[in-house]
Amino acid sequence: GVLAHLEMLEARAHQAAVKQEEVEQQEQKLARLQARVQELRAQRDELRAKVDLQEKEQLGKEGAVSNPAQPSAQAVLEWKIKSIKATLQIFYLTGISGKLTKRGVCFCISTAYEGTYLDSYYLDLLTKPEVQIHRHSVPIFIPLEQIARSYLQTDIRRFLSVLSEHLNAYVGRRYQADQLQEHFSEQIEGTLQRNSLCNLLVFNYKVSNKSKTFPFKVRLLYGDLCCSLPTEVIVSCT
Amino acid sequence: MDNSICQGYEDEIQSLEEEIKLLSEKYEDRQRESTFFSDEEIQMSIKSFQRESQGGSRGCESPSDLTAQLESLETDLSFLMKFTGIQFTSHSKKTLEKTTNRALQKHRLSGNCHSLSFQLEFQLLEMQNKENVSAVITDLSIIMESGESSDVSKFVSSTEEHGNLLKFFRSLSSYAEWHGHRRHTFLHFK
Repeated sequence: GVLAHLEMLEARAHQAAVKQEEVEQQEQKLARLQARVQELRAQRDELRAKVDLQEKEQLGKEGAVSNPAQPSAQAVLEWKIKSIKATLQIFYLTGISGKLTKRGVCFCISTAYEGTYLDSYYLDLLTKPEVQIHRHSVPIFIPLEQIARSYLQTDIRRFLSVLSEHLNAYVGRRYQADQLQEHFSEQIEGTLQRNSLCNLLVFNYKVSNKSKTFPFKVRLLYGDLCCSLPTEVIVSCT
Repeated sequence: MDNSICQGYEDEIQSLEEEIKLLSEKYEDRQRESTFFSDEEIQMSIKSFQRESQGGSRGCESPSDLTAQLESLETDLSFLMKFTGIQFTSHSKKTLEKTTNRALQKHRLSGNCHSLSFQLEFQLLEMQNKENVSAVITDLSIIMESGESSDVSKFVSSTEEHGNLLKFFRSLSSYAEWHGHRRHTFLHFK
């Protein structure tokens, strides 16, 4: 009777209080988020203005702009370090870059197909007592030992140049095969078959004309390992 | 209903934070691009930096770290230039576009390779996807000093067409080396 009624009122009051607290927390959270958004918007607008001003200044002046505030010695050194790192990055684009190590040099051979840079390969060389390969990341199907035997001791530049030719040609063939598979997947039946060196490619493709489809089988052989164009092409109608 | 408003704010916060990060990177990049310090200024800075830090412990990096890093980088660079025969006399880059996973820079480069001089301009697009960073060269333009030779100009225009910067440097390197040999031999017989 009365007690049950009282309990019910108590429960209701409790629920209302809990809800009230929830609403308050929600409002506080919203207020916090709102404040943060304002703060970030202001920061962002300030930065935008700074960048716009910088753009105007740079368009107005030609050549080097010296910092109005005298930079600290540390800032100057950091600038020089960044500038040298940028030049070293350009060497990466030339195909042969590297870094001196305690016991020799670590060369990095970069590869590219036309304008797209692909994998890079490392060669850690020791220079004493004679030039030798300490470690490398050249794949085993590239005749590294043979090239090293021919040139490593006598003409290290030639060694790197020949190795670079092999690697670039391999990567070029592989890239072309990948692109072929990707861009002509509708015409190619099944998958492209290739060996690890990517100098033998076999695939079936179909050419459609009105209602007829002609199935072809292609075999591409790249006889020159330093070349990314085939030396022998056999196309047969299956 | 409240939840969606909260979510809206949280989304905006995230996008603002990203935008702020990109804007400040852009500002720093451009600031760096327009800065230049001469070799003397750099030498002076090295000396004053070492003096400053002898007085007490410095903030971020110790002097020996920075000067050692600079020395090691300079040694690497001069080794590469001597080894490959490629010397860069000037290099400038300008950031045209930069987002979280895409950066487009315009580079101007001049130098020489075994006494054959060149001037290049190209755009480098770097894109970050899940696994790796890809780099693609576009708008390659090459000016070579010995451009009168028809072989050289044919080679140059075909490399320009395909944006084949790496091939340009590899071929230039071997051509220039042999060019030097040929000149020596020719002069010997003159």
